[in-house]
Amino acid sequence: MNKVLLIIRREYLSRVKKKSFIIMTFLTPLLIAGIYGLIGYFTYKGIKDTHDKVAVVSTNKTLTEKLATDKNIEYFYVDKSLDEMKKSIKNSDYDYLLYLPEFSLTQPKGVELFGAKQAGLSLSNRISRDLEELIRNQKLKESGISQQDLDQLKTSVNIETKKIATETGKEESSSAGASTIIAFIAGVLMFMFIMLYGIQVMRGVIEEKTSRIIEVMISSVKPFQLMMGKIIGIALVGLTQFVLWIVLTLTISTVAVSFFVNKDDVQKIATSSQSGSQISTGTQVVQAPQGPIVDIQKSLAGLEFGKIITVFIFFFIGGYLFYSALYAAIGSAVDSETETQQFMMPVMMPLLLGYALSLSVITNDPYGNIAFWLSMIPFTSPIAMVVRLPYGVPNWELALSMVILVVGFIGTVWVASRIYRVGILMYGKKTTFKEMFKWFSYKN
Amino acid sequence: MLSVKDIVKQYATHRALDQVSLEVESGKIFGLLGPNGAGKTSLIRIITQITAPDSGEVLFNGQRLNADHISQIGYLPEERGLYKKMEIGEQVLYLSKLKGLSTAEATKRIKFWFEKLEMKDWWNKKVEDLSKGMQQKVQFVATVLHQPELIILDEPFSGFDPVNADIIKNEILELNKQGATFIFSTHRMESVEELCDHIALIHRSKKILDGSVDEIKATYRNNTYWIEYEGDFAAKSVAGIFDVLQTENVKGKTLIKIQLQPDRTANEVLALLLPHVTIHRLDEVIPTMNDIFIDKVKGQNHE
Repeated sequence: MNKVLLIIRREYLSRVKKKSFIIMTFLTPLLIAGIYGLIGYFTYKGIKDTHDKVAVVSTNKTLTEKLATDKNIEYFYVDKSLDEMKKSIKNSDYDYLLYLPEFSLTQPKGVELFGAKQAGLSLSNRISRDLEELIRNQKLKESGISQQDLDQLKTSVNIETKKIATETGKEESSSAGASTIIAFIAGVLMFMFIMLYGIQVMRGVIEEKTSRIIEVMISSVKPFQLMMGKIIGIALVGLTQFVLWIVLTLTISTVAVSFFVNKDDVQKIATSSQSGSQISTGTQVVQAPQGPIVDIQKSLAGLEFGKIITVFIFFFIGGYLFYSALYAAIGSAVDSETETQQFMMPVMMPLLLGYALSLSVITNDPYGNIAFWLSMIPFTSPIAMVVRLPYGVPNWELALSMVILVVGFIGTVWVASRIYRVGILMYGKKTTFKEMFKWFSYKN
Repeated sequence: MLSVKDIVKQYATHRALDQVSLEVESGKIFGLLGPNGAGKTSLIRIITQITAPDSGEVLFNGQRLNADHISQIGYLPEERGLYKKMEIGEQVLYLSKLKGLSTAEATKRIKFWFEKLEMKDWWNKKVEDLSKGMQQKVQFVATVLHQPELIILDEPFSGFDPVNADIIKNEILELNKQGATFIFSTHRMESVEELCDHIALIHRSKKILDGSVDEIKATYRNNTYWIEYEGDFAAKSVAGIFDVLQTENVKGKTLIKIQLQPDRTANEVLALLLPHVTIHRLDEVIPTMNDIFIDKVKGQNHE
């Protein structure tokens, strides 16, 4: 046991002390925060800055109202013919030219949009939405509804999704949006961690093999001890990085939020989280101003973060052990990293599949059959389960999945160690699956 | 101190060791010889407990080999290496702690050895900054640092320049004087003759020769002598006493190779020659280990 500790210590320290680890650990949260900041900034700026001037040539007599201008789009009705406008559009102030022919309200046809530049999808969607509203209002008016009534019809509805916890019967404020975001982040992180650190295990094994220190090592320790020491040591590196990332990201985002978000918004969040606590008491309409930030903030409060992080760490360790043992076996079977391709595929496939399915199928239907089975099979459960978790998973399913994963990794560790102990002593031979199977059945 | 008894090791397609038995006496330097692929490494891996035999047993000081013996064996494999990115001092420390030394004791001994082998400044160097010969020195230190009773060296001199090879050879002899038993695995016969007391030859998974170096050489003597003389006389075979195998004339001297009949001595030949010539030299032709090795291995191959 003492020897395993020594190995763990070396594997851990030699990696944590590396410059690349320190740089990665401190730079990644900054990078992530930076990238999201940039995306947010440009999206915001993009929305704010779009301002299209659209000249409208209308020969339409059915529509009595005109398209309404707002801050993103301006409609100018011009009294010129379509052909005239087409010629002059390039040299005019207008960005686009919209042609409204005469059409029936039931089948509006022949609307065309011209421009010197190709109109973006968001613009053409926007215009068709405006037109649809115009036509709808026209129809409503024709059926005898007054303008006043029409104005009153407009209300904006904000759905609050709540989940009734099966065990406690308690209502939990949640939002499909926030759950999906958390699920995505958890799924991507899990996939990344298992891949990154699994491959590190493989590299470590190959390094020992190619540098030939392996023979010296296994005259002192059992191959199994060496393999486990390496796997656990690298797992600790992963956990260290994970914890540092969480701490750093939280620190950075707290600093950033307090720096950028003005006091008003903070006030809103504060009031809404107060009202959030009242929500469960009744059915009153929430009057507090509802922005997306407030929304997410509230449903984040509804998620059990402690539970999510604990489960994440459990499934990270379990999934990592499950896969890294397989990676160790691969590393032991080859002489260099270039030879790993053929063995990597079958190991990567289930993980990739789990990743892809989790982020598509599960986020759409977190309680379905596929979601259930993906989160039970140990090849995919680490990713599938953390993706399902924010939507709520019954405790018995969670427990069952954990037990299966533990049994699974004991299995892969056992299989891998049998291949590993033979593989590490084989040099200069091209290994095949058949051969690996033979190694597995060797006696000692 | 080490008894190997009827070891059999079977791999999927071939038998690496077939009923091999050896006896390594305490305080001796034992040469384990054999061509590539004969089974030497398989046997060493069994002794170092890297693998286990299919049948047979190994006794270490009379006890069946077990995990406690790991710390009493030092092994320098032929395929050896070090962690490239790790500092030398730290690395040797790590390896010796894995053998059960405490940090303090290991540090003390590493300092002693580094001083002795003129490697003092190497502590903070990384392996990738050392030459191959320097790495070999580090590995040798790592092998003997925990003062094992039995030291197994697989091709220890490959990669050493003559100066360093000599340094290492002297260290081996000194450790041997202090009581360490050595097993040498090699196919370089010069070092065997210089160092080994006892050898075993393994070929095609079987032990085909075993004995002390002197004894083996003695059995390979075949009563052949070189005689150099001066004088106008052509030596001829004398039935019942000796045969002349070869005659050469060099710078006015004659060199003949003779083989004595059994139970005859060189004195009888000299007695016959003395009246006619002046004897300059008489040498017994003793086969080198190299000759014996080649003879044995080739003989086996022809069977």
